[in-house]
Parts: sequence; C-alpha cells; structure tokens
Amino acid sequence: MKFTLPILATAVALTALPAISQELVLSIGSRGYGPAVERNLERFKEVNPDVSIEWNKVSDVPGETRKLYVTSLTAKSPTPDLLAVDVIWAGEFAQRGWLEPLNGLLDDETIAAFNPSLLDAATVDGEVHALPLYADGIHFFYRTDLLEKYGLEVPQTWEEVLAASQTITEGEGNPQLYGFVSMWAKIEGLFMNWLAFTNGNGGGFYDAGGNVAVNSEANIEATQFMVDLLHEHRMTPDSILNARPDDARTLFQQGRAAFLMVQDFVHAPLSAENSPVAGKFDFTRVPYFEGHEDANSTTMGGWFLGINPNSENKEAAAEFLAHFTAKEQQLAAAVEDNRAPTIPSVYEDESMGSNDVLAKFGGNYDFGVVRPSAGSGSKYPRVSEIMQLEITNALHRQKPVEEALNDAQEQIEALLAE
Amino acid sequence: MTSMTSPLDRRRHLTGLAFITPTMLVIIAILVYPILQSIVLSFGQSSIDGTAPYQFVGLKHYAALADNERFWNALWVTLIFTGLSIPLELAMGIGLAVLMNEHFRFKGIARLAVLFPWALPTALNTLMWRWMYNTDYGLFNAAALQSGLVDRPINWLGDETLAMGSMVVVAVWKTSSFMALIILAGLQSIPRDLYEAGRMDGMTRWQEFREITLPLLKGPILVALIVRSMDALRTFELPFNLTDGGPVTATESLSLYAYKVIFDFIEFNYGAAIVVVQFLVIFAMSLLYILTLRNKD
Repeated sequence: MKFTLPILATAVALTALPAISQELVLSIGSRGYGPAVERNLERFKEVNPDVSIEWNKVSDVPGETRKLYVTSLTAKSPTPDLLAVDVIWAGEFAQRGWLEPLNGLLDDETIAAFNPSLLDAATVDGEVHALPLYADGIHFFYRTDLLEKYGLEVPQTWEEVLAASQTITEGEGNPQLYGFVSMWAKIEGLFMNWLAFTNGNGGGFYDAGGNVAVNSEANIEATQFMVDLLHEHRMTPDSILNARPDDARTLFQQGRAAFLMVQDFVHAPLSAENSPVAGKFDFTRVPYFEGHEDANSTTMGGWFLGINPNSENKEAAAEFLAHFTAKEQQLAAAVEDNRAPTIPSVYEDESMGSNDVLAKFGGNYDFGVVRPSAGSGSKYPRVSEIMQLEITNALHRQKPVEEALNDAQEQIEALLAE
Repeated sequence: MTSMTSPLDRRRHLTGLAFITPTMLVIIAILVYPILQSIVLSFGQSSIDGTAPYQFVGLKHYAALADNERFWNALWVTLIFTGLSIPLELAMGIGLAVLMNEHFRFKGIARLAVLFPWALPTALNTLMWRWMYNTDYGLFNAAALQSGLVDRPINWLGDETLAMGSMVVVAVWKTSSFMALIILAGLQSIPRDLYEAGRMDGMTRWQEFREITLPLLKGPILVALIVRSMDALRTFELPFNLTDGGPVTATESLSLYAYKVIFDFIEFNYGAAIVVVQFLVIFAMSLLYILTLRNKD
C-alpha cells in the first residue's frame, strides 16, 4: 500500500507531460565505430537528459543489416529513427526516399564542415541525406615476431607475401599455421578484396576510360593469383571461403596466420591487453603486384548516419545526429579508437599528432580505391552480387577465372544497360 | 434439404454462418489475399512504395525465369534437398517411433529427448550445427584431426557436395522426431490383438512389422510425408543460417533465392514470379500425395 501513492503520482505525471521525454531508436553495429558509440551516447545524455536513446545493435556484416533496413524502410516503419548506412548504400537509400534530407533540419554550416567528397556519396538532387561518421579501408596486418625470426622484410608485393608465407609455414612446420587469411566468404568484403588484388595489378572495375572492364588481362591475372594462393600454394586455410572479417581476425589473433587482410576495426581487438598477438603485429599498405607500386590497392569504405523519413521525432533525431557526428566526438574517436574522422579540420587538431596508428591508416588511404557504387546507383547491390558470385565461382574452381570474369562482365553490361 | 426455408432451419443456418465467418475472414486475409496478391504482382511491374502505378507485363517475368540459370539451380537444389532428406527422415522416424513404442525404463525421458530437436527453433538449431561444422574450431574437425582420420580440416560447409550433405543431416536430425511423433500416434492405435493373432500363427518380429505394422501405418505415414515435403520444398531458415546458400549457390533453395531477389535486389515482381512457381511445385506435390492416399484407401 505504501508504494501505491508514488506509483500513481508518477503515472499521472507521465500522462500529463507526454511531450517532455522523447525516445529515439539508434541502429548501428557495435564493432564498426567501436567504443565511440557508447561514449557519444553518454555525452548526449548529459546534454539532453529528456531524450532517451535505445541502441539497437545491428550486425556489422553490411549485407545482413541491409536486409533489416530494407524490410523496415519498405514497410515505412517509424523506427529506427537514426540508422548507420554503409557508404555504398547512401546514394541508393537517398534515391529511394529512405533517408530524410538534412538541409532543412541542420544548418548549412554544420553540413559544410564535412569532407565534400564523402558528402557527395549521400547527396541526391543537391540535398544531403546522411552525414559521414567515419572512413575505413582494408590494410595488410603481419606478425612482426615471425618476420623477424626468419629475417624477412615486411612484404610490399604479393610475390613477396607468397615467398614470406612459404618460408614461415615451412619453417614453423605447424599444420595449424597458415600464411594468409582474409574474408573470402560470399560477402561484400570479398568484392573489396578483389578490388584490392586487381587494382594492385593495375586493373580494377573500370578501365582508364571509365568503362566496366571486369575481364581485363590484369584482373584475370590478379584473380588467378587469388585462386592459386588457395589451391596451388595452399597458403590459406580452406575455410577462407567461408570467412567473414571476424573469422579471419580470430585465426590471426590465435596466432594461426602470418598475414591478415581486413579493415581498420581489427586493430583494437588485436592489440587488446589479453590478445595473444598484442605487441607482435603491425600493419602496412595492401600489397601490390611487382611493378605497380603506385597502384591504389586500399579498398575504402565508411559509414554514414542518417534519419528515417518516417521517424516521429525528426527534430530530436537531427539534434542527436549533429551531436553524434560533431567535431569533438570525432576527435575523441580518432585519438582514442583510431577511427578516421570525416571532418577535415579534426586532422588539424594538435592532439591528433600523438596517434601514430591513425596516421598510418591515413597514409594507406592515400592509395584508396572506392567501390563502383556511385556509378551504378540503385543497381549497385546487383552489381556487387554478380561480382561476389563470379569471384566465388572462380575461387571454388567451378569456372576458370577468365570464364567467370567474362560472365561477370556480360551480366553487368546487360544490367547497366537496362 | 429442401426444408432450408423453415424459420428454424434458416436460423440454424445463420448461426452456423456466424460461427464460420470470423475464421473465413482470417483465412481470406492471411491466406487467400497474399496468394492472389503474389500472382497479380508476378504478372506486372510495380514500384515498392506505390509511387508508380501497376503495369501489366504478362508473362515477362516467367520468360526471364526460364532463361535464368540461378533459378533452375535453386529449383534443383530444393528438389534434391527434399528428395534426400524426406526418405531419410521417414526411415529414422519409423525407427524412432517403433523404439518409443517399446516398454523400457526412462521411456518418458527418452521420448522427451527425441522431441527436443523439433521443439527448438530451426534458426537456433542451425547456428548450433554451424559451430559444430566450423572448419577451424568445430567439433567434427577437432575430432577428425585428433583421431588422425584426416590431416587437413574438412570444409564441411565450404565444399559443394559436403555442404548439401551437411544441410540434409541437420534437417534429418531436426525433423525425424516430428515424423516419429505422428507415426507413434498411429502405432498406438493399432489393436494389440492383431499381434497376438500373428504370434499364434507363428509370425516373426519382422513379419509382424511388415504384415501388420506397416500396412496400418500407411495413413499416418502419408500425413507425415505431406507435411514434411511441403516444409522441405519451402526450406528457408536452414540454408539461410547454415550456408547462406553457399558455397556459390550449391545450397540456395527456392525460398532463399526468392528472398534475395525480393529483399537484396528489391525486385518484388520478379520475386513474386519465383514464389508462384514454388507454389505450383508444392501444389503439384500435395496433389500427388492426396491422390495416392485416396487410391490406397
């Protein structure tokens, strides 16, 4: 009986003042932006105690999250209010009307602070539909202790990677140790891998004239190298064909691989205090094939944060968005978690000088290559699917490399002509 | 029958109608409407948010399907999966049912244990198996490597042939108990005196099983077959969670392919055409079973 009165009072207060407390649902993975999400939520709560945020932790495997978004956005669901969007979907989602234009909700100054070429990825009809949260790319991680043990230099080319892998695995004589691991499951990450390999051989998705050139000589050669790495040289585990980024990271972290090629985010878990490889690894730029030292072989990615047009609290969501992507927040994420900022002026801050890891990531981004999402717009998911499928066909030796890439070229040409 | 016109009968008729109306409405809303909607969608071109009007395009999507290798592959995968898993499930199901029908200690616990895989959600079961199949950390490879049977881990889910086999194993493990349950119910309705009579005539256990048990189980077996075949032809959670249709498209079922077309490529009309074909396949299969059932009676 004692409790009835306060409960009643609270109930009355809640019904009488419905407008004060607002609820927002934020949809973002827990891995990509790492500890910054939690920290930003805390800080926002301090400034805006009236707005409560529910963090919907979605998958960090982009394809899985995309399915979730497509379902709820097609159904015009009001939640999530805010959603993290992969750079490759930003344009498509904006085109489909799945992201609220931000120009009316945020002032021009806030928007203008961001890197303009990143903003372009989310700009449709002159309106910005999402703000870039961070940029990332794939890097080549290696075991410093193993290289040292066998007197090897850090490999710069794929030829050197292969030789070093062979020296190390033969020297160690441990069947549980592999040369190279990466994410070759049929996921977006496989396409990123392929772009890294092919661009590193002077090839790529487009030729110099901007035409789709998936089946170029350079691409066939680079893809064949991937196939040989697996089937002929046996430098990768068979499970590389099912491996997603975290699977590859786990093998490397357990000390079962000499080389690892995935995105930035693995740096934090690999260097964590209890990590078996902490202090025994470093990373460098994605390798290239001999004679292509200027190749842009770092496949780039990044995530945006946007607002659901069916959200019932767009103003509060906009306020949260501005806070979440603000300069101070990006600086903290950069200095503490090595997340590459999207506001150029963050790089000028003096506290940035202390972060060598991020500086090195940044050096690799100078050799960046983006995926063909801008050129294929809302058809990008199908372009990526065709590429993933045909590369997988080649890796499983279901088709010879040349045939697989010819098939991909043909299907993509037909698709883009539709 | 002609007495329908009497006031009492009319009232009875109305009451009956009133009783079935809610059910009929629900069935129409959740069953008939979506089926019709899928058929309509499959013959046209429309935008997902309804901004562009529906346009009738006739058989365009079906013609495209006929040319689509991936669709034929998905159909083939679905049929192979059904063809492999159903007979195995049936054999296991009959075995389990006969076993559960025997009298032994801890019979209750044994029955519960058999039902366990069926009671758990498919997605959960599948994730569990995915870990056991895992090439680098999985139970099976740990056992195979440590016992010295193989010297390189087997890629259970990454090899075209093994992946289908692995998927069938999970299906059989999960659904044999369902078959067993239906067959067990049938077993228990067989009068005991038939066996007594058989024994008096000097039948062996095998003869009893072949001459008495099996013929009387025909009904329950056909029911179990229909239900399970329809399930297998629609299989989605299993490949979705176990292999995502891979490697390449070796385990991509029709449902999974339709799902990808609809939700990844956002092509509702083309996806609807796939679903309609799938509907026809299941319909034909059910018809076949029903006709068999009728003939046998």
